[in-house]
Amino acid sequence: MNIANVSRRDFLKGSGVFVLGAALPARANLPDGSVTAAFEPNLFVALDSDGTVTVTSHRSEMGQGIRTAIAQVVADELDADWSRVKLAQAPGDAKYGDQNTDGSRSILMNYDRLRDAGAAARLMLRQAAAAKWGLPLDEVSAQNHKVAHAGSGQSADYGELAADAATLPVPEKVARKSEAEHRFIGKPVVHVDNGDIARGKGNYGADVKLPNMAIAVIVRCPWLGGGVAKVADPAPRPGLIGLEVIDPAPPAGPMFAPWGGVAVLAEDTWTALSVARELDIEWTPSPNQSFGSEPLTAELRQMLESPGQTLFDIGNVDAAFDSDGQELSAVYETPFLGHMPMEPPAAVASVEDGKCQVFAPVQDPQSTRGLVSQYLSMPLENVDIRVTLLGGAFGRKSKPDFVLEAVELSKRLKRPVRVQWTREDDVRHDYYHAASAQFHRAMVDEKGHPTVWLQRTAFPSITTVFSGQALMPAEWELEMGFTNLPYRVSNQRMESAGIRPGVRIGWMRSVCNIFHSFSANVFADEMAAAGNRDAIEHRLEMLAEGGEMEVPGMQPPPGHAMDIGRLRHVIEKVRELSEWGRERPDGTGLGFAVHHSFRSYVATVLEVRTEAGRPKVTNAYVALDSGTHVNPDTCAAQMEGAVVFGLSLALHGEITMKDGQVEQSNFHDYPMLRMNEAPPTMVHVVPSQGRLPAGVGEPGVPPVAPALSNALFAATGTRHRSLPIRMA
Amino acid sequence: MRYELSVNGRAVAVDVAPETPMLWVLRDHLDLTGTKYGCGGGYCGACTIYVDGNIARSCQTPVSTVADKAISTIEALHENHPRLVEVWEANNVPQCGYCQSGQLVAAAALLDRNASPSDADIDAAMTGNICRCGTYTRIRAAIHEVAAYDATSTSSEEDAA
Repeated sequence: MNIANVSRRDFLKGSGVFVLGAALPARANLPDGSVTAAFEPNLFVALDSDGTVTVTSHRSEMGQGIRTAIAQVVADELDADWSRVKLAQAPGDAKYGDQNTDGSRSILMNYDRLRDAGAAARLMLRQAAAAKWGLPLDEVSAQNHKVAHAGSGQSADYGELAADAATLPVPEKVARKSEAEHRFIGKPVVHVDNGDIARGKGNYGADVKLPNMAIAVIVRCPWLGGGVAKVADPAPRPGLIGLEVIDPAPPAGPMFAPWGGVAVLAEDTWTALSVARELDIEWTPSPNQSFGSEPLTAELRQMLESPGQTLFDIGNVDAAFDSDGQELSAVYETPFLGHMPMEPPAAVASVEDGKCQVFAPVQDPQSTRGLVSQYLSMPLENVDIRVTLLGGAFGRKSKPDFVLEAVELSKRLKRPVRVQWTREDDVRHDYYHAASAQFHRAMVDEKGHPTVWLQRTAFPSITTVFSGQALMPAEWELEMGFTNLPYRVSNQRMESAGIRPGVRIGWMRSVCNIFHSFSANVFADEMAAAGNRDAIEHRLEMLAEGGEMEVPGMQPPPGHAMDIGRLRHVIEKVRELSEWGRERPDGTGLGFAVHHSFRSYVATVLEVRTEAGRPKVTNAYVALDSGTHVNPDTCAAQMEGAVVFGLSLALHGEITMKDGQVEQSNFHDYPMLRMNEAPPTMVHVVPSQGRLPAGVGEPGVPPVAPALSNALFAATGTRHRSLPIRMA
Repeated sequence: MRYELSVNGRAVAVDVAPETPMLWVLRDHLDLTGTKYGCGGGYCGACTIYVDGNIARSCQTPVSTVADKAISTIEALHENHPRLVEVWEANNVPQCGYCQSGQLVAAAALLDRNASPSDADIDAAMTGNICRCGTYTRIRAAIHEVAAYDATSTSSEEDAA
């Protein structure tokens, strides 16, 4: 443990006299030596003399409930009164450690250090009370915001003890509560921001208003890499400030810099939008103008016809295909997808007097800080990145291109600027989830089990955004549902191939797991069908009885292995939950899929029938094992949301490009699932306390699309191997 | 042009072009940022407001068309629909929350005219509001819960009378 009493440090004034920070240097004295003045709020816990506890969230809130979860963990170990706990949002700063809110790992990475921060504070409050009352430490106990001595009946509110506790050294060792003692961890706590949100008071990126702030709407070049050749000056009108030309990001480096275009600056958003719509711009050409999604898909398909780079190879695959059995092979295809957070990117920046302050819905304020500092050639300490609520992100807001646009414009205008992306900007200038293709070929025995299995995957890698040379899928992309599938066959080979796209690729909620889970789960279903088998029984047989399976995985902490027993358990649970064997009306099909990602185990069953030639999902069932969970209601909500997210992409999701330009523009031609298509969803959260906490935000997505395809096969007898699923 | 408006029961005045959508009047000129921009095309419902008791997409509602009408936004919703707002909060309906202003206004308007909506009624009333986080099942449940609560409290009042 590495926790310091930082009560006397002076980072942010005004929010606590007793503060603890994890992994901080030793405490420093205030110049006046006092201990009762306003002090820095620690990293995670601050206690005011009125007893108000302020917990700092250093991760970004985008609907996954992390602010609430962090507060639950700290407040539980502190044994605080929940009604006296407030949340503060950390700016981007290396002192917090990793702030990159992605990969479904906020709790995984921080659970223990948050518990220790709360537990240390509780112990120090007990120490302060014991010293004050002249009693041995073990005779005073802390509970619900009070330290009490049973013998004498004395008690003190935490607030009364704050000043004394702030003078104490941080204990070397603290005891964390046992599971039975938990009051908030593992409980369905109401999210801390709900009250504001339900009253229109949630503060998102576009809601920040600074004095003298201008609004910018940017018309960006339709293709990547193009810039402005010529732009006609618009007619003057009230509220219009003027135009600024932004050069495109240089092609070689990471593509997080602004996309080239013309910024319309105005005193209000409508003026900026109106002028932007009427601009007459001539663009410079770019090699990406020859890019199209259809040729790319054809190329991916072709790549699958010959061997790729071998990633895994056991037995003798080529020879095994000459043996007896039924041969199956299939090609699966998935398109480009957009993130489409309900809040399009927006950022406020103020560059003034050698300093820069940003308010923005970013997933990683710390890397944003670094990029802004680099971009402005400004010392890091002069860059202040404030995180607002994120109106959805799904990976989009881990790229701060929109922040750099605001920074650039504020620098030029010498006044604060808010950049407002339109929905059309968002659809056309996203970091797209990669289009992909997979080839599966196997020989199966009479029970539908493979004796040999060849798997190939091809897609443009996210690393193409970071480097002009990158071509092949990265190891960590392949570890998302390809090289770490839980099925081992005596003859098995996995291969990959890459391609450079003419658009920016990014990670989107569950990333490569989306297409890898789709192809593997549908192919497994095809194997079961070939053996005329029950899909779930067949799948359980494909897995080892139990035990751990070593799988590649670069995400921390190291040493992760897949627990086959837990995988089997979620399959059995979803079978039960969905009443898998129950007789259902004619024309109704059930489909099953299971996937392990972000260290969690998720099995999903969808019930579907066709209605007017379209799939109608009538029920969804999900079983989740994410290890120790902080808030089971959040877990359930994330699974419910994942079903909707997965069905959106399975039924509607397709971004296409032609001549380097995205062909869709808004929700009418890139639709999302709506209320009338959303199925009732039952979620079982496996009690798994005591195990390593795992991801919740993303792992619900990968099983959805294949479960739908498999359900449609059960309902109609037709296989759907491409997304989005089209029934015509 | 100068427009005198009634917003959340308050008389306010703005000086904007006649075609300016109410969305931007509310957000930029009246600092009522609870009403959200989601698409600008009337597709997503994030900007839903009340105009004379009916719902409207504020991104499609020029200020010139509502000067003599009563406008009400999410900021005032809890005054007339406290139970709805409480249930929304207590049931963890919101995830990111960005679309929820529009969802709440649409749900309130549904309950205004239909005290006991069926699933089909909810589909019809709420399908114009997109939630990318996928909170639909909770929205549906919350609407049913508020309707059931209102039904109980109404009947007990009747019993008392």
